[in-house]
Amino acid sequence: MLHVVERKTLYFALSGLLIVPGLIFLLLGGLKPGIEFKGGTLLDVRFADPPAVSDVHDVMVGLGRSEAIVQAAEGGRVEIRTFEMKPDDVVAAQKALTDKYGANLKDVSSSVVSPSFSGELIQNAVRSITLASFLIVFLIAFAFRNFGWAAFRYGIAAIIALLHDAAVVLGLFAVLGFFFNVEIDSLFVTAVLTIIGFSVHDTIVVFDRIRENLRLNPGEALNPVINFSIMQTLARSVITSLTVVLTLLALFLFGGFSMRNFALALLVGIVSGTYSSIFNASQIVSLWQEVEDRVRHRATAAS
Amino acid sequence: MGRLGPWLVAIIAFVAVFVDIPKHQFSFPFNCPGVCLKLGDLVVNQEIKTHLGLDLQGGTQLVLRMQTEKLPAGVTTPQSELQTQAIRVIERRINSLGVSEPVIQGLGDDKILLELPGVEDLAAANEIATRQAFLEIKVPDKDKPGTYKSLQPPLTGANLKPTFVTFQNGTRPVINFEFTNGDDARWVQLSKDFYQQPVQITLDGKEISAPTINAIFTDGRGIIEGSFTTQSAKELSLLLNSGALPVPVEVIQSSRVEPTLGQDSVHRSLIAGAIGLLLVAFFMIAYYRLPGVIAVLALLYYTALTYAIFRLVPVTLTLAGVAGFILSIGMAVDANVLTFERLKEELRSGKSLRSILYSNLATILTAGILFWFGTGTVKGFALTLGIGVAMSFFTAVIVTQMLLHGAIEIASLRQRRLYGVEERAPETRETRAAPVPS
Repeated sequence: MLHVVERKTLYFALSGLLIVPGLIFLLLGGLKPGIEFKGGTLLDVRFADPPAVSDVHDVMVGLGRSEAIVQAAEGGRVEIRTFEMKPDDVVAAQKALTDKYGANLKDVSSSVVSPSFSGELIQNAVRSITLASFLIVFLIAFAFRNFGWAAFRYGIAAIIALLHDAAVVLGLFAVLGFFFNVEIDSLFVTAVLTIIGFSVHDTIVVFDRIRENLRLNPGEALNPVINFSIMQTLARSVITSLTVVLTLLALFLFGGFSMRNFALALLVGIVSGTYSSIFNASQIVSLWQEVEDRVRHRATAAS
Repeated sequence: MGRLGPWLVAIIAFVAVFVDIPKHQFSFPFNCPGVCLKLGDLVVNQEIKTHLGLDLQGGTQLVLRMQTEKLPAGVTTPQSELQTQAIRVIERRINSLGVSEPVIQGLGDDKILLELPGVEDLAAANEIATRQAFLEIKVPDKDKPGTYKSLQPPLTGANLKPTFVTFQNGTRPVINFEFTNGDDARWVQLSKDFYQQPVQITLDGKEISAPTINAIFTDGRGIIEGSFTTQSAKELSLLLNSGALPVPVEVIQSSRVEPTLGQDSVHRSLIAGAIGLLLVAFFMIAYYRLPGVIAVLALLYYTALTYAIFRLVPVTLTLAGVAGFILSIGMAVDANVLTFERLKEELRSGKSLRSILYSNLATILTAGILFWFGTGTVKGFALTLGIGVAMSFFTAVIVTQMLLHGAIEIASLRQRRLYGVEERAPETRETRAAPVPS
C-alpha cells in the first residue's frame, strides 16, 4: 500500500514547485487579456463578392494580427475585430486588403469598440465563487457535523485544494502568456469555473470515505484512516479523471483551433484537481491534526 | 420507487427522445411547429428547437446610435459616461428577456453594437433596445388649466423599487411601483399638495394615465393603470426595472451576421467530442464488463434527457456550452463509477449514496450562485452545468441502479465474471473494519 499521508511534505513541496513560478508570472502580468476583455478596433469591410472569412483572416495574420476575429455579415460585409489599431495600422490593413482583393473590395471603415466582456462580469464571477466557497465549507462541515469543530477543517482543506487547482491553471496561462503571448478569452473563464466545480467534486468523494471509515473505526488514528480511504477511492478518482482526460485529449488534438487553449486549460485543471484530491486535500487535514496535537502536547508538558 | 419506478423512467425516456427529434409536430387542435396546445384558457405555443449561440449559428446585429441631440439642454454628462450607462441598461434588459449570451459593446463614441443569437424576436429586440422607458409624474399646471408640468426637480422613475404586474378584478393588468430613496416622501407630499386633482403618469413624454388622487398616501407605493395587455404590462415592468436609457437611441443598421467560428472548427470539435465519448464507452465496458454496458446505456439516457431539457428551457448552446455538456457526460461517468464501486457493499447493506449526494450538491450550489449573480457567458455556463449535474445525479441514482438490479434478476447474467469481481480484490467488510497502519 502506498503511503500518501506520511509523505505529505514531499507532495506539498511538489505543488509549491508547480504553483510558485506561475504566481510569479501572474504578478509580472503574464495573463494576457484577449479582445473580448480589451476591446480594440472594428474594421467594417464591404466586398462586391465576399471571400471566405478564413482568407481574410490569413491577410490579417500576414500583418501580424493573429488575434483578429473575422465574421461575415449580410450584404457582402465582413467584420474584423482586432486589438487597437493606430491610424497607420488601419491604412496598412486597407492596403493589404486592396492588394489582395482589388476591385472586389468596395470600402473599409474603422471604429473603436469597447470590451464585450466587462470587468464587472469577472468581478461578479469571483464574488460568486467566494460566496460558493463559504457555503461549500459549511456544506462539508455539515456532512462532518459529528466531529465538532474539526468538521470545518475538511471544508477549509477542500477550498485550499480548489485554490491550488485554480492557481495551477492561472499560473500556466500566465507563463504561456508571458513567453508565447497566449491570450485568455471567455472560454478560459468557463474553463476555470469548470475546474473549480470538478475539484470540489473530487475532494468531497475522498472526504466522504474518510468520514465513513472514521465512523466505522472509532479510536483509530487519523493518518492510517486517511491513507486507507484515499487508497479505497483511488480507482474511482483515477478512472473518472481518465475518462474526462480522454475526451479532452481528443478535443485538444482534433478539435478546432479555437478549442485548443480551452481544452488545454481544462486538461491541466482536471489533472491538478485529481492530484490535489489524492495528494493534498486530506493531507492538509492530517497536518492540521498533527500541529494541533503538537501544540496540545506542548501545553500539557508545560503545565 | 416501488413498481412505478421503471414506468416513470421509461416514460421520461420516451418524452426525452420525442423532444430530441429534430423536426416534429405535436399540435392540438391546430397546426404549428413544436408543441402547441389549446385547452380552454391554457394555450401552449412552444417551438422546440436547439438554440445555438452567436459563435455557432450567428444571429442579428443591431447598431444603435445615441441621439445626443435630443437630450434636454443642460445635461452635462460626458458622452462616454452616457454610452457606458446605456450599455448597462440594455444589457440588463436583454438579460431579463432571457436571451442568453448576447454581445453588447460600445462602437465609436456614440454608437452601441448589439448582437443577439437567432433572429426570431427581431421586432421585440428592437423595441426593448430602443424604448427609453423614461417614467415621469407630472402635476396640473395652474397657469394653463388642463395641462401638466414637471415638478422641480422632476419626479422620475430613477428611484423605483422593482415593479411588478398584478391584476385588478382578476383581469385588468396594472403595474405596481414604489418610490424609494427620498422620492417616497415626495410622492406622499404630492398626494397632499394635489389632493382630489388629477396627476399625469407619462412614459417617454406620452401620457399613459392621469388618475385623480383620492387619498393621502402613506408610503411610496402606487399603481399605473392603462390599456395594457398582460404582455405589454410585463414588458413595461421589465423596462422600468432595468432603468431608463440615459439618452434616446435609434437603430441605424440591422443585419444578419454569420457565426464567428468557422463550420470547420465546429465540425472538428464535434467529431473530437464523439471520439472522446466512444473511447469512454469502450473503456467503461472493458473495465467494468456488464455494469460497463449498463453504464453506457445510462449515459445514453443521460445525454438524451439533458439535451431534451436544453431544447425545452431553452438553453443557448455556444461552443463552450457544448464542451461543458461533453464534460458533464464525464461527470455522469463519475457518478456511475461511484455507483459501481459501491455496488457490492450496497447490495449487501443497502447503503445510501451519500458521497454522490454531497459532491453533486456542492456543484449544484456553485452553479446556482453563478447563475444568480452571474451575467452573460457565466450565467449560460452555470445553467448548463447545473442542469447537467442534476440530470447526472438522477441518472446514476435512479436509472443505473434500476438497470443493475434488473440485470441481476436475470439469472443468466448472474455470473460474477461479468461484473469483473474476480479480477480485482473485492472490498470486504474485514479490510474496511481494520485499516492496516503502515
